[in-house]
Amino acid sequence: MSRGEVWFDALRAGALPLANLPPSVRAADGTIGVHPARLVAVVPDAQNRFARARSGELGIDEGLAIARAVDEAPGAVLAIVDVPGQAFGLREEMIGIHRALAAALDAYARKRRAGHTVLALVVGRAISGAFLAHGLQASWIGALNDPGIEVHVMSEPSVARVTRMTREEITRIAQIVPATARDIERFASLGAIDELFAIADPNDPSAQELARVRAALAAALDDPAVAARTPRSRLDAPAAVVTRALSREVRARLRASWDG
Amino acid sequence: MITRTSFAELDARERVRLLLDPGTFRELIDPFERVRSPYLAEQNVVAQSDDGVVVGRGTIGGTSAVIVATDGRYLGGSIGEIGGAKIAGALECAADACARGVLTRAAIVFDTGGIRLQEANLGILAIAEICDAIVALRAYTPVVAVIAGRIGVYGGMGIAASLCSAAIMTEGARWGLNGPDVVEEEAGLAELDARDRPLVWRATGGRRRHAQGQAETLVLDDVDAIRIALHALAAREPHAHRIAPELSIDPGLDLPAFDRALRERYG
Repeated sequence: MSRGEVWFDALRAGALPLANLPPSVRAADGTIGVHPARLVAVVPDAQNRFARARSGELGIDEGLAIARAVDEAPGAVLAIVDVPGQAFGLREEMIGIHRALAAALDAYARKRRAGHTVLALVVGRAISGAFLAHGLQASWIGALNDPGIEVHVMSEPSVARVTRMTREEITRIAQIVPATARDIERFASLGAIDELFAIADPNDPSAQELARVRAALAAALDDPAVAARTPRSRLDAPAAVVTRALSREVRARLRASWDG
Repeated sequence: MITRTSFAELDARERVRLLLDPGTFRELIDPFERVRSPYLAEQNVVAQSDDGVVVGRGTIGGTSAVIVATDGRYLGGSIGEIGGAKIAGALECAADACARGVLTRAAIVFDTGGIRLQEANLGILAIAEICDAIVALRAYTPVVAVIAGRIGVYGGMGIAASLCSAAIMTEGARWGLNGPDVVEEEAGLAELDARDRPLVWRATGGRRRHAQGQAETLVLDDVDAIRIALHALAAREPHAHRIAPELSIDPGLDLPAFDRALRERYG
C-alpha cells in the first residue's frame, strides 16, 4: 500500500469510499473532530488505462476525478498528499493534461473561496504540478516530519538535464538556497507548513500518533482564521516574514504605485 | 498597405506597451528599481533587473487595466520569487480594485517554461498564489491569457493559463504541462523525441489547442491582431467558469484508437 492509501484508510476510519471515481482516486466522507470532511487521495493503480499514471501520478483521469470529488463535497475537504508528480507522456500532452490539473486546482480554490476550509496533509511526496493541483490551494497544510517526504518542482535527473548541473552541484546549491532543497524541514522554513508531525513509522502510524494528527486537523477546522486564509496568507507566517521578505516587498511596492 | 509586426519578436516590455491603449503604459517596479533575485549569483546565473516579468498599468478600451508579461528571453521566462510575486501581486491589486468598484481589466502574456529551477519551491509557492489570484479576479472581470511567444507556456504556468477566462494563441506558440525535454527525460526517447519539432508543435501548438477549444482565439503573429482579440475578450462580462469542459467526455475516450491515430499521423 502507498503512504497515501495508508493515511487515507487510517483517517477515513471506516467511512465508505465513493464509488463513482477511477481506482487511482480515493475519496470518502469522514469526520474530523465534530466536522464532516471529504478526504481525497491519489493512489497507484497498476491497471490505469493511462500507462504513465500507474504509480500514483496525477494524470488526465486523476485531475478530472479530483475536480469532481471536490466540487461535489458537502463541506470541508482534506487532501491527502502523496504524489510523485504529474503523468509525463505525449498522449497526456496532446489531450491537454494542463487542463485536467487546472480543473483539480480550480475546484479546490473555488471550494475554499466559497467558505469551506480546505486542509492538506503531506504524507509522502509532493512534487511539482501534482502538488500545485492537489494540496497547495489548501488553507492549512500539515506534513509528516520524515525523510521520506519530498517536496520539489521536478525530479533530480530532470533538474540536472534542464540546468546542465551535476548532481553534486545540485546538492551543494541546496545547502545555500533552501528553496531548492527537497526535504520537508527546509520547505517548512518557507512558511508554507502549518504543522509538522513526528511519526515513528509513516507506513504504520500508531493510534496515538493518529489521534494527534486528527486533533490538529480538527483544530484547523475549528479555527475561523484558517477558514479565511488564501495561499497568499502564507506570507504572514513567521517563517515567511523572513524567508519570503522579497515576496512581501514586491507586493508593498505594487500597492504603493498602483494608482500612480 | 497592410503591414504586420511580429509579436513573438518583441520583448516583454514592448508586448505589454503595445497591447494597452496607445500612450497609456506605465510600468510598476521597473528595472530601475532593481528588485533582483538574490539566489542566482551563487548559482552562476546573472540576475536581471526586472527578474523577467513586466507589470504594466494602463487602459484597455479606455478602462483601467493591468497586463503582466513574462520575458521568455530570460531564463526561459521562468518564474522565481520576485517575478512570481509581481504577477500574483498585480492580480491581487486588480481584484482589490474591482472589489472597491474600480473595474480593472486584466491580461497575462505567457512566455514561460514554468518554475525557475534555481528558486524551485519559492516558484511553486508563487504559482499557487498566482492561480488563486486568477480565480479571485476572474469573478469580477475576464482574465485573458495571451500565448504568442517563442516558448509558449508549460509547467505550473500552463495550469495557470488554463484558469484564465479565455486564451488567445498563435500557431507558433505551444501550451502544455510537461515540456518536451522533460517528457523525454522522465519517460524516455520512445515516448517522445524532444528534437522532433514538427511533432512537438502538432501535439501542443496553437492550431491544435484552438481545434480542441482550449484556446478561444487563434490569431496571426501580429501585434494588431492580438491587441484587437485581447480588447474584445477583456471587455466581456465575467462568466461562471468551468475548466476543461472539452475533457469531460473523457471517460468515453477510446485510448487504443487514440494511440493508433497518433501512430498513423506521426509514425
